[in-house]
Amino acid sequence: MADEYLEVPPELSRNVFLTTLDAVYNWSRRSSLWPMMFGLACCAIEMIAVAAARYDLARFGMEVMRPSPRQADVMIVSGTVTKKMVPQIVRLYNQMPQPRYVVAMGACATGGGPFKEGYNVVSGVDKFIPVDVYIPGCPPTPEALLYGMMRLQEKIKRQSIKTVPWYQKGRDDIPVPVLGPDVLDLRRKDEIKAISAQIADSEKYLDRLAEKQRAS
Amino acid sequence: MVGKGILRGLATTARHLLETYIDDVKGIPSRYAYDRHFIKQPLDERGIFTIQYPEERRVLPERFRYVPMLIYDADTGEDRCTACGICAKVCPTQCIWIVREEDKTGKPLPRSQEFYIDISICMGCGFCAEFCPFDSIKMNHDYEIAVYHRFPDLILTKDDLVVPTTYYAQLYPEAWEAEERAREEERKRKEAREKALAAKRAAAAKKKAAAKKAEEAKKAGEEKADGKDEEKKA
Repeated sequence: MADEYLEVPPELSRNVFLTTLDAVYNWSRRSSLWPMMFGLACCAIEMIAVAAARYDLARFGMEVMRPSPRQADVMIVSGTVTKKMVPQIVRLYNQMPQPRYVVAMGACATGGGPFKEGYNVVSGVDKFIPVDVYIPGCPPTPEALLYGMMRLQEKIKRQSIKTVPWYQKGRDDIPVPVLGPDVLDLRRKDEIKAISAQIADSEKYLDRLAEKQRAS
Repeated sequence: MVGKGILRGLATTARHLLETYIDDVKGIPSRYAYDRHFIKQPLDERGIFTIQYPEERRVLPERFRYVPMLIYDADTGEDRCTACGICAKVCPTQCIWIVREEDKTGKPLPRSQEFYIDISICMGCGFCAEFCPFDSIKMNHDYEIAVYHRFPDLILTKDDLVVPTTYYAQLYPEAWEAEERAREEERKRKEAREKALAAKRAAAAKKKAAAKKAEEAKKAGEEKADGKDEEKKA
């Protein structure tokens, strides 16, 4: 039992205090991951099945599905992420307190799935928010989701207080994308501006060309 | 009587609780002792049955499907896949990419050099397995494939996809048997056909030979007659 909790990375082997603290810190964090209660599509049905008695997520300390992002640790993106939904998802992600994790469940959340080339679907939620664990499958069976959550626990187990991003300087909130005729990713504002300026320029050039032709 | 329903409900709950314990000790010493890790759960099983997932798994039905796998012959070590590309064409999500092998002169060979399936978009419909004329692509039962990175972990290459026929036979015992039977029948039919063809050919050759012989004899006779005529003329 002790070995399981005291996995010491080689670079930290001298720093006994911190590694012990890490072990306790990570143990407590991974043993009570509270998912956020929200589902997007058919994968949510499997997520509900996992939370129910047959597979029983409570065995992992994850039974407390929180309806508020302020109290949740992990966001299970279960289903198709449409362009209309992505601003809300990013806002919910921003509202979750650190440390926060994202699990992309199913083909749609991972890579767009059958709707990858669709006009209204974001092909992969990782285009907007950082994803920790990807679970392929359409939809993943309850066991597959449990396995994904176990992988997430393994990931948490390997983290250290020294290096985790939420004790570093700076905020890592993601600007909420704007839904217009299409979804605008505000992180790419400069790029979008440059491209639209180029288009405007070319339009002006075409206008001038047309005027010249008319004059001649 | 007031409270009768409540009492009945409580009795049901109590019965479930009791049955859970009874079910537990049925497989003495316990349901979870030794290697009872694969639970089948027959229809008449009573009690509460949570599947304690990492320790015990449910027995999956044969036609369960998750993501595709590629089958190679365990005896010869050769792929069944001939890179015909039918799976890539029927795939609704277009997640299969095949590169066909070529020889030095650029002539395509019936083998795949590279075979990719992007399981981050695969919807597990099983069309590829349905349509494969060589029984080379089938649906795997392995669902423990969660990863930390989408690229390149979720784009399965040929190395990740190939499994031997023995693995397939183990996963799909019924389908494997039926396929083997069909293959055996096909082989027998082919043999019979070839035999019949060979017999036909032999008969035809015999007939031809006989005809040739007769013709030759006739020719010889004519020549003889010609000779006689010439002699007469002379």
